[in-house]
Amino acid sequence: MTRNLLNALMATCALVALGGTAQAQEFDYGKFDGYTLKVKLIGGTQYEKLYTRIPEWEALTGAKVEIVSSKNHFDLDREIKQDIASGSITWCVGSNHTSFAPQYGDLYIDLKEMVPQAELDKYVPGTLASAMVDGRLVQLPRVTDVSNLYYRKSLYESAENQAKYKEQFGVDLAPPKTFDEFKQQAIFFAAPPDIYGTAFAGKDEGLTGRFMEILRANGGDMFDENWKPIFNSPEGVAAVQWFKDLYDAKAVPAGTVNYTWDDIGQAMAAGQLAIDLDWPGWAGFFSDPASSKVASELGFAVSPVGTSGKRGGWSGSHSFSVTQQCDNKEAAVSFAVFLTNDESEMMEAQAGNLPTRTKTFIEVVEWFKANDKQHLADMFAVWQQSLSEARTPPLVAQWIEVSNIIWPAVQAAIVGEKTAQEALDGAAAEATVIMQDAGLLQ
Amino acid sequence: MSFWRSPRATPYLLLLPAIIVILGVVLVPLLVSFWTSFTGYNLTKPATLFQFVGLRNYQRLLGNDDFWWAFGRTIVFITITLNLEMVLGLGLALLVNKITWGQRTLRTIMMFPMMFSPILVGFQFKYLFNDAVGLINNALFDLGLISQPIPWLVDGALANFSIIVAEIWMSTSVFAILLLAGLMALPKEPIEAARVDGCNPWQVFRHITLPFLMPFVYIAMTIRSLDVARAYDMVRIMTNGGPAGRTELLWTLMTRVGYQNSQMGMANAMGYVSIILSIVFTFYFYRKLVGARTFMGGAQ
Repeated sequence: MTRNLLNALMATCALVALGGTAQAQEFDYGKFDGYTLKVKLIGGTQYEKLYTRIPEWEALTGAKVEIVSSKNHFDLDREIKQDIASGSITWCVGSNHTSFAPQYGDLYIDLKEMVPQAELDKYVPGTLASAMVDGRLVQLPRVTDVSNLYYRKSLYESAENQAKYKEQFGVDLAPPKTFDEFKQQAIFFAAPPDIYGTAFAGKDEGLTGRFMEILRANGGDMFDENWKPIFNSPEGVAAVQWFKDLYDAKAVPAGTVNYTWDDIGQAMAAGQLAIDLDWPGWAGFFSDPASSKVASELGFAVSPVGTSGKRGGWSGSHSFSVTQQCDNKEAAVSFAVFLTNDESEMMEAQAGNLPTRTKTFIEVVEWFKANDKQHLADMFAVWQQSLSEARTPPLVAQWIEVSNIIWPAVQAAIVGEKTAQEALDGAAAEATVIMQDAGLLQ
Repeated sequence: MSFWRSPRATPYLLLLPAIIVILGVVLVPLLVSFWTSFTGYNLTKPATLFQFVGLRNYQRLLGNDDFWWAFGRTIVFITITLNLEMVLGLGLALLVNKITWGQRTLRTIMMFPMMFSPILVGFQFKYLFNDAVGLINNALFDLGLISQPIPWLVDGALANFSIIVAEIWMSTSVFAILLLAGLMALPKEPIEAARVDGCNPWQVFRHITLPFLMPFVYIAMTIRSLDVARAYDMVRIMTNGGPAGRTELLWTLMTRVGYQNSQMGMANAMGYVSIILSIVFTFYFYRKLVGARTFMGGAQ
């Protein structure tokens, strides 16, 4: 009782102080001496560098952080679902992701109510919008993923290729602006088994996401405003046909129907792909001569548009969330803001991830130029353009379930077991049942 | 004197701790999962645990083609894998049995594949069979045997073949160890007598060694059939049931439905239907085991 009162008083004082000094943009991280904050964080080399900042937060606030669990996002998702099912939410802060967040119901609090607007304004507006579920800001984004094109400059700048391309298609050879051009160039460059035009994710949410990207770029969408599945529209069939045409022309490795991100990344680094629509996290790997054969000739281009002139912009953000059951929400919110503040975002950006604060983009490009990493400076300049059109998958709890119906159907169409229309119609029928069961579709 | 105070109750009382533990760890989860198969239980909505839907899950299951294809495919997978593992395991055991010097070292080395986690084996073989950068295609190219990459994990028959290869690599040594134990227990006198009578090695094997080994073979088959039926990690990593569901086995389907789609009620219903599979295999092997043991006692 007394502690809650004390916290309430502190919070009020902090708010008054903030309100009083409206011009001062500093976030108050608060003091929580003697409190142990329990957190469940995502593990893995690309995520853990940020956690080296935790001792700084501990020194700043006097609290201690206990990392209760550190796993990859599949296992973490399972663990969180089991915690919800058993009702044992004993932790305060959890790693989250915009694609997974809608499944967790009301596990997490609305951070708009705890973080001052002045602080929220520092985040990239589009990114923050995609972090909302049902109008509640359930997570603070830490890094954003949006795909753009990597390509091999040596192939594009070769005089022989340029002459042949000009002769065949009548236009100059340059990184593709549209998905149709992308397909055309992939078929042009392919000379199996030594080199392929490109490769695409062939299973799991990867394939559903890429399908959704092209569908949206063509002007279609997954659901209409009443949650009726509409992905079996002509735009959807055209999207499936894109994959199928590449597969039939053997412009992609035959095993691409089983590829996940790792397989595609390895193939690109081995120099086997001419172009690759992929995530920013690979930039470091592709441009490191120790791990990649194409490091010296890596080019960046913004992702192509579809027949409607728009980009698909499939994106997701890793994030941090605070639980309803947390016994000290102020400490938890302070921790979440700290791990996504300007210094933290700078640390993530320097590693090649796309930050979620607007200021960081400008600062990090300067830093790259000053530190002889011109290629990363170029990459950020290119990637930032695509953030404005970034969109998440449908933010609804049934997304994963619907995805698990769509990717086997698209696979069946690609390998020729069904026509694209048949496959998508079947998937749409099953998805309708799911949405009806969920009570979203009347 | 009441029953519980009489000496007749002693065995039951002594067993009581074990019975309580087994009830707690085995029976209660079984009952709960059986109950959930009659509900629309969704992991992320704990309230649905009490939403009774009767036989709806089972009815949907009976009409679900994907489930029955996975069921059939699992039966074929178990049959082929078990038989090949038995033949290869038997061969390995016979060879190792003949070695006199360094047998212990060789036995230990033979067990290495067993020690790998199935997920690691899955990753290892996924990269070996990768059509663009994998070792196998590269080796075949260098030897000049192929000019186009073979899509090991995509073509229907080849993908199932690749998974079977990975499973056999990992578990043949279990068979080999069990059969080696049987070979070591083999009495020498009948074999010597047979040799003296002029039997050739094949006749010795067929009429003396093999019948004696059959109980061990059936024990190994029973244990392994349950393990292979549970094949999940490896298949999930290698193909996740694809492409287009052509390598879908019972457990990849159930895990996707239960954990990714959070439909635990349905997944449990699938589990109970597939128990039939395990029961049939176990029953069959146990009957054969009992039959083989009567022979081993020299009754024939």
